[in-house]
Formats: sequence, structure tokens, C-alpha cells
Amino acid sequence: MTNREMLLKKISTYAFAIYEYRLFLDTHPKDEVTIAKITECEEKLRPLKMEYEEKYGPLRMTNDNKRKWTWVNDPWPWEGE
Amino acid sequence: MFVYEKRLQYPVKIKQTNPKLAQIIITQYGGPDGELGASLRYLSQRFSMPVPELKATLNDIGVEELGHLEMIGSIVYQLTKNLTEEQIKAAGFDSYFVDHTTGVYPNSAAGVPFTAAYIQVKGDPITDLHEDMAADEAVN
Repeated sequence: MTNREMLLKKISTYAFAIYEYRLFLDTHPKDEVTIAKITECEEKLRPLKMEYEEKYGPLRMTNDNKRKWTWVNDPWPWEGE
Repeated sequence: MFVYEKRLQYPVKIKQTNPKLAQIIITQYGGPDGELGASLRYLSQRFSMPVPELKATLNDIGVEELGHLEMIGSIVYQLTKNLTEEQIKAAGFDSYFVDHTTGVYPNSAAGVPFTAAYIQVKGDPITDLHEDMAADEAVN
């Protein structure tokens, strides 16, 4: 596994946990245990995303430097590279 | 509005092509209980949901299903990469290939194209939630 893939896997892990916790909040708002877990995951995810985008390009189109426009660069997620 | 993130929900990296497996897995893409149906079902049913918790849940899981659709599409795409003519024939992939080559087309394992008839939207919350449970096989 390349460094890029490892970083992406960590990002996906925390992002998945956050999304599922937030789904739980849809029907269980103000659940303190869940809110604490989301905060914990968000603090881990933030620097990972910053590192990834700095090294390998934008995760969101709107995060791209509009003069360089690296958004279109390969690989795209489905290519498995 | 939707915002795209340039990553899969979970990484997909397939080392060995396998068109026979692709033909089975594609049903989770565009088959009767596939991810395309799931996302369309939730994102369509949400409009007529009467309470905030249900609107939010259907909205948010509908969006997540689109992420699942992308993962399954990636699996099918990677399973059919760099095929030789012999591999296509030996795997019985020729019946798909003749219409779509190695493009990822939403159909079932039996080759039936995706249809909106796979889903239901009745505008009644109880009816729609029962349809969701049946589609997810969550009833037991």
C-alpha cells in the first residue's frame, strides 16, 4: 500500500465513523456520548485531510487552487491506483 | 445541492480481473435491490416525509447510498479491466460486452436494465418505511 493509499484509508475510516454517528444524531439529537465521539474523530480527521490535500491534491473541487487546477488529475477514486 | 469528495467511502483496489464475478456484483449496482434503487428510493421518499427526523434520515442515508453506488461501480470497473477476447468468452461476459463493452451499465445479474419499477414512493410515511424495510430485507 502506498503512503497515499494509507492516508486515504485513514481519512475514509474517520469520515465513515463521523457520518454514521451523525446519522444517529438525526434520530437521537443531543446524545452526549455520540457528540463526544464525533468531536474526537473530527480532531483526528482534520489534519489528515490537510496533509492529503497538500501532498496529493484537492478532495473537493472548491478546495483546488484555481490557477493550478489539479482537480482533474488522475487517479480518480474508481481507478484503484 | 450535492458536494463531491474525490475519494471512495472505502477504498477499492482489485488486482485480478474477473468478469464472471463482475456480472454477479453488477446487480448490486443496478439490480432490483441495488444501490441505485436504494439511493433513488430514499432521496425520492424524503420529499413527502412529515417529520424532521425522518426527512433528515432519508436525506442522509440517500446520500450515503450514492457513495455505495460509487464503490460498487468501482468494483465492477476494476474487475473488467484489460480483458482479452478469450477471457470475455470464457467468462460468459460476451453477452454483456456486446452491448456495453466494459462500460458500467446499471442492470441486474441477469442483464435486466435498471427500472424505476424497482422502487415505490407512496407519499405515506408508514407505507414508504415498510417498502424501505422490505428493500433492505430488514424485516424478520
